[in-house]
Amino acid sequence: MIFLYIGLPLAVAAVLPLVGKASKRVLPDFLSNAVLLGLLVYATTGARALLAQGPIVQQVRWLGEAVNIRIALDGFSLFMLMTIQLVSLCVGLYSINYMEHYGAKANYYALLLVMVAGMNGLVLSQDLFSVYIFLEVAAVASYALVAYGLGAEELEASFKYLMLSVVASAAVLVAIAILYGMTGALGFDAVADGLRLLDANAVVGVAAALFLMGFGLKAALIPFHAWLPDAHPSAPAPISAILSGLLIKVSGVYAIARIFFHVLGMTPALSQVLMWLATVSIVVAAFLALGQTDMKRMLAYSSISQVGYVVLGIGLGTPLGVAGGLFHLLNHAIAKSLLFFTSGSVQQATGTRNLDEMGGLAKKMPWTAGTNLVGSLSIAGVPPLGGFWSKLIIIMALIQSGEWTLAVIAVLASVLTLWYYLILQRKAFFGKLAERWTMVKEAPFWMTAASVILALLVVGVGLWFAVVFSSWVQPAADALAKGF
Amino acid sequence: MTFQIILLVALLLASAAAILAKDLLKSAIALAVASLLLEIIFFQMGAPYAGVFEISVVAGLITVLFMLTIALTKQGDDIRESKTVKIIFPLFFIVFALIDFLVMRGILARIPALEAAAETGTFGDVLWKERSFDLVGQVAVILAGVFAVLALFRKRDHHD
Repeated sequence: MIFLYIGLPLAVAAVLPLVGKASKRVLPDFLSNAVLLGLLVYATTGARALLAQGPIVQQVRWLGEAVNIRIALDGFSLFMLMTIQLVSLCVGLYSINYMEHYGAKANYYALLLVMVAGMNGLVLSQDLFSVYIFLEVAAVASYALVAYGLGAEELEASFKYLMLSVVASAAVLVAIAILYGMTGALGFDAVADGLRLLDANAVVGVAAALFLMGFGLKAALIPFHAWLPDAHPSAPAPISAILSGLLIKVSGVYAIARIFFHVLGMTPALSQVLMWLATVSIVVAAFLALGQTDMKRMLAYSSISQVGYVVLGIGLGTPLGVAGGLFHLLNHAIAKSLLFFTSGSVQQATGTRNLDEMGGLAKKMPWTAGTNLVGSLSIAGVPPLGGFWSKLIIIMALIQSGEWTLAVIAVLASVLTLWYYLILQRKAFFGKLAERWTMVKEAPFWMTAASVILALLVVGVGLWFAVVFSSWVQPAADALAKGF
Repeated sequence: MTFQIILLVALLLASAAAILAKDLLKSAIALAVASLLLEIIFFQMGAPYAGVFEISVVAGLITVLFMLTIALTKQGDDIRESKTVKIIFPLFFIVFALIDFLVMRGILARIPALEAAAETGTFGDVLWKERSFDLVGQVAVILAGVFAVLALFRKRDHHD
């Protein structure tokens, strides 16, 4: 029953504040993580088996009667569902210890589950208006979660995020209205069929530009990135992880890919625009990351840069490019969440995010330092970790299609990535331990456990990349390619 | 046609007034006027349900909420806006209007006219039977909103 991906988190979220009255910590911790674990297991077993016969559209039944809720599942949505549940589960585990200080834990988990439900809904919906609604569900929950600490910095970042995000939603809504006005339909297939009958390239161009702006803002592609370096560092660490690891990808990259491939159709011009936007993001954000001294801000800029790689692969549009882009999406989701976890652990232990004040923390926090190194190297593209393979595939795809300039830029930017991650690693964890950090302790159990799980995944995906690629990424890329 | 153009221009003016007015109360009233005009446009274009919602929720309920909030806020803690806002907004507005004029004029002619059908089925049919999935989304948005308010207005007891 695929509707569980939307219904279950929502239902549990609705009762969590009441549960929180009875048990402030244990029950909310347990319930929300159990939901996420259950959904993850179902994604890798039941839903995967369902999909074996090909893409499915499921009709929801309520009290024995069919209601007009149809959700579509294909390789691409299943791949996204798996990624969402995987990262969310680790975020849930990490929150058990991290969110102790913030209070109102039940409420926090309720918002987290609503956000997960919104992302799942977005991935499963098959009409444009539902995409818009679930985009908003995830976004509204994320505004509150960014401001969860209630400090001045958090509130300002959340407000900035809210304002730019509203512009994005408005652009998306106008684009949907234009398409609806032209075709009288909202379903992906119906709109695509309608557009094929009409000869209206100019109008489709305007709609595409609006989608690009709206989803580009959500994905924080440069020049639409202004909100991200404020919002992601200010949020509590698990929320930074889910925002950088998932939300920008689901509400930005997934939506762009789904709509451009299955509704508007990927034209060579669109492909060029996407690739150049992506390349600018990769390079500019990498340079900006290089100059940061705030640990989480550096990671935030790195997210912009890495999402650039994902969009570069998908924008190229060849089967290999799309597969590489999606594989990088998975690798970046895992590794970036891991890095936000470790930076959160460091911040909680030392009380600072300033890299210049840290140093030598590896002696006191060996697990955090080790997992951080794994994540950094994966994103920088060092073999044999996951990030290496996905970047390799993207660059191979670029060369295969004769895009030599972009391929060279992608390789050079990868060197930049390695550079700033080594700066981060050296300043925070290596070197001499400063006097003031002699009392620092390793992060609590669940925080370390969540980081270790993700680090193992980074290594696992790298070592068994052929298996992961053929069983998860390739079906997703094939499903996307059907829209060609 | 002329009537519609007058309505649209008035809608623009009222919306701009809502943004530019210094007094919050005037701003709220201008917004209500804009929403009323929008309601008439909806009604004229054959979308009575959208019109009814617009007038009851936006012009009615939200205006009352705004007024209540303004009435409850203390006098004297007005926030000074930076002066650039006054220049930037009209500038953007003019640029946007220009682009709108140039792009839309070319495009509108190309949009095929759909058959002008009245809304099919009753409102209930459309909402409950055709757009059921949206209702799930609506429930989720409301939940997110409620939890957001609970979270943002909670007592800060533990946070350091």
